[in-house]
Amino acid sequence: MTMEVQRVNVKFFAAAGCGVALDSFVRVFNSWIQGTDGEYYDLADYGHVPAGPGVVLVADEANISIDNNGDRLGLLYSRKRPLDGTNREKLVASVAAALDYCRRIEEEPALDGRMRFRGDEALIIVNDRLFAPNNEETFSALKPEIEALAKTLYGGTSFTIEREQEPRKRFAVHIKASAPFSIKTLLESLRKNVN
Amino acid sequence: MNTNWKAKLGDRIPVDLGREIDIFETQMELRKQGKIDERVFAETRLRRGIYGQRYDNSQRHDGEKIQKLKIAATGLTKGPDTVWDAPGMMRIKVPFGGLNAEQMETLADLSEEYSDGISHVTTRQDIQYHFVHIEDTPALMRRLAAVGITTREACGNVVRNVTACPLAGICRDETFDVTPYAKASSKFLLGHPDTQDFGRKFKLAFSGCAQHPCGLTSMHDMGAIARSRTEDGVERRGFELYVGGGLGAVPYKAQLFDDFLPEEELLPTAQAIARVFARLGEKRNRARARIKFLIANLGIDKFRQMVDEERRKLTDDPRWTSYLPETREPGETPLKTGIALNGAERPEGFDAWYATNVYRQRQPGYVATTITLPLGDITAEQLRGLADVARRFVNETVRTTVDQNILLRWVSETDLPELYRALKKIGLAAPNAGTIVDVTSCPGTDTCKLGIASSRGLAKELRQRLSEKSFELDQAVKDLRIKVSGCFNSCGQHHIADIGFYGISRNIDGYTVPHFQVMLGGKFRDNAGAYGLAIGAVPSKRIPDVVTRVTDRYVAARQKGESFQDFIGRIGKKETKAMLEDLMKVPPHEQAPSYYSDWGDPREFTLTGMGVGECAGEVVSAAQFTLAACEREIFEAQIRFDAGDLPGAATMAYGAMVHAAEALIKTQNYDVPRDDEGIVAEFRRLFCDTQVFYDKYMGTTFADYIFKARDAMQHAGDIDKAVALQRLQEAQLFIDAAHSCYNKLIAGAVVVPAPAVAEARSA
Ligand code: SF4
Repeated sequence: MTMEVQRVNVKFFAAAGCGVALDSFVRVFNSWIQGTDGEYYDLADYGHVPAGPGVVLVADEANISIDNNGDRLGLLYSRKRPLDGTNREKLVASVAAALDYCRRIEEEPALDGRMRFRGDEALIIVNDRLFAPNNEETFSALKPEIEALAKTLYGGTSFTIEREQEPRKRFAVHIKASAPFSIKTLLESLRKNVN
Repeated sequence: MNTNWKAKLGDRIPVDLGREIDIFETQMELRKQGKIDERVFAETRLRRGIYGQRYDNSQRHDGEKIQKLKIAATGLTKGPDTVWDAPGMMRIKVPFGGLNAEQMETLADLSEEYSDGISHVTTRQDIQYHFVHIEDTPALMRRLAAVGITTREACGNVVRNVTACPLAGICRDETFDVTPYAKASSKFLLGHPDTQDFGRKFKLAFSGCAQHPCGLTSMHDMGAIARSRTEDGVERRGFELYVGGGLGAVPYKAQLFDDFLPEEELLPTAQAIARVFARLGEKRNRARARIKFLIANLGIDKFRQMVDEERRKLTDDPRWTSYLPETREPGETPLKTGIALNGAERPEGFDAWYATNVYRQRQPGYVATTITLPLGDITAEQLRGLADVARRFVNETVRTTVDQNILLRWVSETDLPELYRALKKIGLAAPNAGTIVDVTSCPGTDTCKLGIASSRGLAKELRQRLSEKSFELDQAVKDLRIKVSGCFNSCGQHHIADIGFYGISRNIDGYTVPHFQVMLGGKFRDNAGAYGLAIGAVPSKRIPDVVTRVTDRYVAARQKGESFQDFIGRIGKKETKAMLEDLMKVPPHEQAPSYYSDWGDPREFTLTGMGVGECAGEVVSAAQFTLAACEREIFEAQIRFDAGDLPGAATMAYGAMVHAAEALIKTQNYDVPRDDEGIVAEFRRLFCDTQVFYDKYMGTTFADYIFKARDAMQHAGDIDKAVALQRLQEAQLFIDAAHSCYNKLIAGAVVVPAPAVAEARSA
């Protein structure tokens, strides 16, 4: 079965012990807005909502948020505009964009290195229940692409891929590597293996 | 993509809703082709619940400079100064706030796929999404339609969501359950021809009693309070009906229209009121276009007389009374037997939650529990969790409230500890519903184009500070209500709060500084019984101090049993202002830069983000709307022609001409004949016999097309390709001529002779 994947969301989780208040990201994202020219539309601050979308930086191509859904803090990249290429290319592009934003946050001077992400786990969501319903069929169709992506990220390290089992949720997989990885390493792996 | 949802949902989409969404999709297409004027399209999308959002003119001030936003635009707009691809707000009507589990699940899904994962409950029991792309809206609407929800007329100059007390049917003090009446009114008025030509929106609310605040009838264009009386030994139901209330910049308390309007008269009276409003309400000056101004001008007696006259003219409609048998049936059934809470083990935090969030229903053994939503926001995950809770503990009996919360009705009291645990698991067991902590706020500068100050930012700050000390608050303070609006338009209902605020700005040494106007002593109770007193402007950053100071003073100086309203009245405006005077000062920028930015927004404050609001909608006349509809019909006729459906194409082309004629008649006479024969005859009398529909070079040629088409329709023979094509072309020419005639009429370049108009109106 061929399946067109669009609107890919990617989340990398905060490393243990990262205690940066969500409010700080309002300031960080605001400085990003000031530093670019019309790239980002706006901010949405949902810090008051428990286990919610956190602070969202809204843009045309994708939203970027410090997301707290599932009560797990992380960086969520939510692609909105369609991407060209094969499904694998689209997955890689979305993961690369998410990693790049993680790196930017880690290097953000205002945060003083207090926010770090763990690279050994990635959550990939296809935000489209029409084309990618959350079922085994979608999983079978996308599994080869997701495995290829995981291999690109983690090389020879073993990993697991778990599908989200709650049928009402969007199609999502957790990729978990058996060893720790930094964001920097993952970005390098992607660059090396994709180009 | 949208078409695929249509295919996937198939007949789960009710035919009428499906057809409306198809039409809207066509209108989007026509707008892209430049065939619908942007103002008409703006009002069209508003009537589908698609609203503009801040910065959708593609400009945003970043605190230092204005940035031109990189929006994938092609120069296309979806309204004046509103870029097509800019994300906007989507409002979803939830009549009387009633939701079931499947609807909550769908709302959750849509918030994730098309918005930012949050469903926002508004002060009028609607749900709103933000940052929605217009291209996604047909799919979104279809998925809602499949679970029985429409976004139709959620915005624009129409009858908005019909609200009602969330406790209706279970309240200990109500006269009777107003739910079926709210439901019937909502259905009857939705899309009704008599509600399509208002100069501004029209809001309707129901309340089961006069003394409690749940219905807020006094601040509505039309408010109905349940009443019953005994006549000849028979109990009769009716309503104490109020009209002309409204908040906004100039708040008006509704006036008594009828102290007992029998239930069977509710819908025809609403219809008659709508007709008077449509006919006489202000259309050009939107600031004075709400019905409250019309009533104030006419006086309530004259208005009542006109409505009575209009009522007598109406021809009977079976829908006026066909729903009445339902009003005597139990609307909801409990899932479980109602059993008292008897010494069951209480989880930690339960007692505080129980004290503020549980309401004992009229029905023994049952309670309603409030799910407190911070600033009205709920995540997709929580909504799905709540759907599970609604299935597990109650019969999916859920309502949104005007306090931006959600009410779970018909909980067996004995289930409360378990329910509390279930809610806690999904982060929905916060206490303090209906207390000073439960601050209400409009979207303000977060997303609203008219917002001046950050109402949500302030509400969040107040909520946080107050909840931290909620345990030590005096009960009298705990019972107070705070409501915040981002501007004077009052969507946050600041007028009816004990402590209300609305956003304003002040210029200090060349800087614009965010402020809030402080309003004290409004009355939420008695259905929004009194409006607050403006005390003065305080910089945003000092507002939490205002709350502390005012409440401390109330606790210290109130007389025994004295309400907050009475307290403020007693100490007077002068003294109250003096109490806050020092908080009104703004230190220089170099000393205290934080005063110069708003809550939750690190940018230096400016007003450049403001735009032209769409609250009022575009004032587009019914005639313009009908003309726009003709364009769509001609477009669809062409599609049928291309698909080989020649009779269909010819019939549709004729229908488009009839509608164009109807549009012109509407400029002269509110009452338009309902059938094509009547319309064509009236068109001939008003526009052809008078030579108003007349082309300098072509004479009556264009007008003749409609007469010719009508003849052809009556003597229908085979329609071949040539005949169908000719009908299409003639219809297009007729519609173009109708536009031109309309423009001349509006410009005053032609006038229909008065005797002809008078004759039409008396017919
Ligand atoms: S009160 Fe003003 S800022 Fe708030 S939603 Fe209404 S128009 Fe917008």
